[in-house]
Amino acid sequence: MPPFDWKRDLDRHDHRVVLSGQPITIHCHHYNINLQRTLEETMGAEGVRLIYRAAEEATYHDLKTMLATYREMRTIKSKMEMAAIIYQNCGLGVIHPMDINNDGGKIVSSSSHHVTGWLAKHGKRQSPGCHFSRGWIAGALEAVCDRPIGHYKVTETQCKMMRDEECIFQVEVR
Amino acid sequence: MAIDGTKIVHAVMEGSRIRESKGIIPLFGVYLSLFSVHYYNRLSFDFEKKIGPSREAEAESLLIKAAQECGYATFQGIRNSWEWDEIVQPMIDRKEDQIMGFAAVATAFGWGHLAVQKLIPNERLVLRVNDSYEAEGYLKDFGQALKGKCYMLRGVAGAFMDLIYGEDYPGGCFTFLAAEPVCRAKGDSYCEFIARKSPY
Repeated sequence: MPPFDWKRDLDRHDHRVVLSGQPITIHCHHYNINLQRTLEETMGAEGVRLIYRAAEEATYHDLKTMLATYREMRTIKSKMEMAAIIYQNCGLGVIHPMDINNDGGKIVSSSSHHVTGWLAKHGKRQSPGCHFSRGWIAGALEAVCDRPIGHYKVTETQCKMMRDEECIFQVEVR
Repeated sequence: MAIDGTKIVHAVMEGSRIRESKGIIPLFGVYLSLFSVHYYNRLSFDFEKKIGPSREAEAESLLIKAAQECGYATFQGIRNSWEWDEIVQPMIDRKEDQIMGFAAVATAFGWGHLAVQKLIPNERLVLRVNDSYEAEGYLKDFGQALKGKCYMLRGVAGAFMDLIYGEDYPGGCFTFLAAEPVCRAKGDSYCEFIARKSPY
C-alpha cells in the first residue's frame, strides 16, 4: 500500500486548504455539475474539451509534485494505486486501474462524484458525461508514466450517467 | 452568540477526512469534492476567453448564475443538515446570523476568508474576502484585470441573501444580485461584494 498519509497531507495554510502543499478547494456536486452543464450547453464539444483539459493539467501538475515526495514508489502499478487513493480521498469516487502500462489500458469506475451529482440533479444522460474523470485519468497517467500533457487520449465507452453498470475508460497513446 | 468560525473550519476539515467506501464525501447535506484551485480557475477564465470578447459579458453572467444557483442549493442543504444543527445552530440568535455561518463554511471550504462588513436586513450585504482563490489565480496567470474576476463568490454573495430574505426555497433564487466593485485581481488589496435586490 502506498505510504500516502491523508491526515498529514490534507492541511490548512491560513485560509487556504492544501493537499501535499498544493492549493485545493472544496466544492459540492451542485457547483461541479452546474459548471459542467454551463460549459456543455454554451460551447458544446469545445466546452467538453475545456473540462477535460483543465482536469488533465491540474491532475498532472499536482500528482507530479506529490509523486516527487514519495520516491519509494517506482512502478506504474504502485503509483497508480496511490493516484486511485487520492481520487477516492478527494471524494471524486473509486477507480480501478486494469492492465495499465506505458501504452495505456483500461480503467473501471464503480462510483464517482460527478455521476452521483449528475444523476441527483439531472437524471439519466443520453451520452457519456464523465469528462472530468477522463481528464483526471489522462493527467494521472501522464504524471505516473512521466509523459507530457496530451500524451494519452481517454475515451469513456460506458457511463453510469447513462445508467450503465460501471464507467469504463479506455486509455491509448494519441 | 457570535459565530465561531474556527469550530466550523474544524468540523469541515475533520468531516472531509472521512470517506465512505464509494469515495463520496457526504457532508453538510451535499456531496463534497476536494480538487485543485487551478482546475476551477482554468475552467472559468478559459471559458470566458474562448467564448470571445463579444460574448464576454454573457460568459460572466453564466458563471455567476451557475454559482448563485449552486450557492442557493448548497447552503440550503447545509443549513438543513444535522452537522449545521449540531455545530452552527447553537451559535445563531437571529436569522441574520445564518449569513455569518455561511461565510464561515465558505472559508472552511477554502474559497478565501469571508467576513461580513455590513448587513442591512432585506436590503444590502457587504461581504469582504481576503485570499479569494479566483482573484489570486487570475492575477498570477493573466496579470491585472480591468474588472472583478470572482464569479463564483459573486454568485454566492447573492445566494446568501436569497436564502435569508428571498421567498421560501426553492422560489427565492436571484432575488438578490451581487456586484464586485473591489477585487484583488484589479490590484485592490481585497475583494468586496455588494449584494442588493435584483431590479429584474
